[in-house]
Amino acid sequence: MSTGHQGPSGHGPQDDIALAGEYVVGVLPDAERREAERRIATDPRFAGLVAGWQTDLSELDKAYEPANIPPIVRQRLDKRLFGSEAGASARIWGSLNFWRGLAVASLAVAVAFAAVNTGLLPGPDGAPDGLPTAPLIADLAGDDAPMAMVARYDPESATLNIVPAALGGAEKSLELWAVPGDGVPRSLGLIPADGGTLTLTEQQAEQLGEGVTLAVSLEPAGGSPTGVATGPVLVAGPLAKQ
Amino acid sequence: MTDQRNDDAVGQLISRVALGDRKAFSDLYGRTGPKLFGVCLRILRQQAQAEDALQEIYVKIWQRSQSFSAGQAAPMAWLVTIARNHCIDMLRARRPDPVELDDAPFVADEAPDPEAVAVNTSEGRRIDNCLGQLDADRAQAVVSAYVEGYSYQELAGQYSVPLNTMRTWLRRSLISLKECMER
Repeated sequence: MSTGHQGPSGHGPQDDIALAGEYVVGVLPDAERREAERRIATDPRFAGLVAGWQTDLSELDKAYEPANIPPIVRQRLDKRLFGSEAGASARIWGSLNFWRGLAVASLAVAVAFAAVNTGLLPGPDGAPDGLPTAPLIADLAGDDAPMAMVARYDPESATLNIVPAALGGAEKSLELWAVPGDGVPRSLGLIPADGGTLTLTEQQAEQLGEGVTLAVSLEPAGGSPTGVATGPVLVAGPLAKQ
Repeated sequence: MTDQRNDDAVGQLISRVALGDRKAFSDLYGRTGPKLFGVCLRILRQQAQAEDALQEIYVKIWQRSQSFSAGQAAPMAWLVTIARNHCIDMLRARRPDPVELDDAPFVADEAPDPEAVAVNTSEGRRIDNCLGQLDADRAQAVVSAYVEGYSYQELAGQYSVPLNTMRTWLRRSLISLKECMER
């Protein structure tokens, strides 16, 4: 406690509540802001106090009136972030760092096909059954859904990555379905809430291809008891070329 | 559109931005940029600085989108927090307080239960009622410091009180507010 910036009674409960509030209100001088940020990073309890103040005081955000932004700001932003390159979005999906980043965020769920080992799916040589060889993406979203997902199906490596993008806590299971042309959903299994690997059967893998809709329904814990979706379909989206 | 529906839409966009989705980033900028630019103008009070700040803020949003908690209830508040922090950091770095703040002794009338305050129970609580229970000038000091990004130095000048008196006021006001909101 030698910085000289802490209260005379150290980190008592009231001192910390006040300090967290001062930080969120924004009145602290630069050095004390840095010190508070160091504590946020290292002291979960203090970080919780700060988060509480942010929630409390966010009501005051209504004072900020939206303002028109000069278009040049957007141009400079795009240049800064993306340079002049086109198609960076497509590359991101194949970027090792991108997928590694998702794993770090512990949101990525890798779904490996049993078909990989059976040789069911076509190799690099082609798609004898009309199956696609280029990766397909499904953006699974619903108007009022509490969550969203992105699915990436790569026939080359026979992998299907499902990324729950926003999940509320619920004592329910999320079940993933393939809905091919006949409109009859086939279960692909449960999506682990905290990541993990789901192995599909050959029959399940056969359901996937361009135009097939992937859908996620909310089911009782453990999945649909009947084999068909019983809960609401939260999000859905078709597999399509990138 | 209600705040809740807007928050839902913004939350989904942030989650897609976390996946590197540039289209979602563009949509997010279109939907939330004007509000965050309003934050920048209000706190920085200079057009050119506000433009620079907004650019940096969206760079941070792009970079930090993966740390946005899934299912977080208040995505707009998350974005405004990033914007306010950036602008306030710019202000404090630009004009550092020439006077070192002494630590203002804090005297609480009643100690809140530390267990209770450790839990974030304040979601959805309205702060307006609790601000109304403070003396009007003290409530105004909290609100104007938050909204305008005033430093203690500036607040002390406005209220014509010594710096440390200002700090004692504000800290007491904050404790009173927190006690009120946890009742």
